[in-house]
Amino acid sequence: MKILSLKLPIKLAFLLSIVSACFSFSTLAADAQQAKLSLERLSQSLRQLNFNTSFVVVKNNQAEPYHWLHGVIDVPLNKDANAQKSTADNGQKVELEILALLNGPRRDILRVGNTVSYIEPEYAPYSIASAQISGPIPAIFGRDISVLENNYHFVSVGKSRVLGRAAQLIRIVPKDAHRYGYWLWLDQDSGLLLKLGVITRKGKLLEQIQFTHLEITQTLSENLKQLYVTELPKIIELSAKENSTEFTWQVNWLPDGFKEVKSDRHRMNSSKQAVEFMLFNDGLVDISVYVNPSQDKQRAIEYASDGATLVLNQVVNNIEVSVVGKIPLASAKEIVSSVSFNRLKAN
Amino acid sequence: MSESKFESISSLVDNYRAPEQSSEQAIDDMLKDEHLSATWQQYHLIGDVIRDEIPQTLQLDLSAKIAEAIADEPSILAPKAVNKASNRQGGFKAKVVQLIKPVGQLAIAASAAGLMILGVQQNTVDTNEVITPSQVVQTKPLAGFANPVSFNYQQNTQSHKQAAIEQRIAQQRRFQALLSDHQQQVKLSAAKSAQPKDTKQSSLEKDE
Repeated sequence: MKILSLKLPIKLAFLLSIVSACFSFSTLAADAQQAKLSLERLSQSLRQLNFNTSFVVVKNNQAEPYHWLHGVIDVPLNKDANAQKSTADNGQKVELEILALLNGPRRDILRVGNTVSYIEPEYAPYSIASAQISGPIPAIFGRDISVLENNYHFVSVGKSRVLGRAAQLIRIVPKDAHRYGYWLWLDQDSGLLLKLGVITRKGKLLEQIQFTHLEITQTLSENLKQLYVTELPKIIELSAKENSTEFTWQVNWLPDGFKEVKSDRHRMNSSKQAVEFMLFNDGLVDISVYVNPSQDKQRAIEYASDGATLVLNQVVNNIEVSVVGKIPLASAKEIVSSVSFNRLKAN
Repeated sequence: MSESKFESISSLVDNYRAPEQSSEQAIDDMLKDEHLSATWQQYHLIGDVIRDEIPQTLQLDLSAKIAEAIADEPSILAPKAVNKASNRQGGFKAKVVQLIKPVGQLAIAASAAGLMILGVQQNTVDTNEVITPSQVVQTKPLAGFANPVSFNYQQNTQSHKQAAIEQRIAQQRRFQALLSDHQQQVKLSAAKSAQPKDTKQSSLEKDE
């Protein structure tokens, strides 16, 4: 009798949950559609609007303030002075961008069309041929976000007020437990980003970007006009031949959807340590894997986190393997332990 | 005190330059001579009264009062700090107090300067936090690492702790090197050609 009375509520609850699941499923589909539209609008706004904005990256109990300017300039078809720039952009519209870290030593990123220049304390200023800057805001948000659909759900959650504006909350929810979710608060007027959070599966906020000022203008700001006539540092020649370097090791497990972006041998700038390196990406998240000889014989797994970014390494048989990326600890551990060696570790 | 010096001050107060004597000279004289500086003050006060520019409550000698207050202060602040230190704190804090002690015994003007310098150093430490890896990366506590230095620590554990701290610093360096290289590689990977090779990076010899 006792068992029955227990079972009945369970059954009821089960039924109820199925019913509610059906309901939520249909609304989920609608939400997903709405969410995708919002993200597409964000992407468009990030590329087409003239905006002058400030934001703060909050992580590790610290705040890093940034100033971000973006604009689009109409370029006459035959402009000789900027032949290099305009050929790549078909001489029509050129995107201009400035992203500056406001605290500490200067870290500026400048972009004119398909040239991105980095001004950082560690290096002499340099440029690379790229149409996206790589800063605290994932570049994918200004690109084709549909590439994320394989690994993430888009969910439109609700409205709230952010930066004094009406905002729509969109969640980018990972389909598996191997990566983090991204919550985006988007301006209902302009479609632009007002707030961004990186969130674990359990809902813990790891780092966030809060916009503190947003100004959208019809005309190009003076700074960007100046940027356009400024001569940028020389573009670094990136040799295209060693496309995929062969190593004596491989990574046997990665979360679904991560593809190899590049692999090479280089020396790390700060430690001068020579490493073999592979970079993977799922559209939103980058994972680096490093393999190098170590003086230590063995070292257990050690890890640290910088906001959402996890740095993990271990030494096995004098070989150090490290993983860096915005992924949960469990994923990083699994990646490290999946690295296998062809000859070196022949035992 | 020559009459001409009072006159030159008077003309200075009225913003009028005496032709035979440069105003710089007059100011220098005045700064050296207490009596002349008092005259300068009085002339200004007279001028203010004539122009009806005096405040409601007139404090005739504010600077003297401030000087007095300043002279009083160090005798209140500094000895307290010393007492506390000798009574309770051991180790690290005592060292800091030893550093502070001589400063406390100086006049307040000097200790204010010292505070400012401390403040500046504090600030630079703060800004460094953004750059220096060891501060940016928050390490999870790991097994085998010593706890923060406690009040009643023993001499013989010091070398152990030293080693642990060094180990920890090395670890932080490793993490920071990885983190900044990761960020650098991500930047370079955005380049159009799929295989970025930074000119600043010397590629490894192939040792296969």
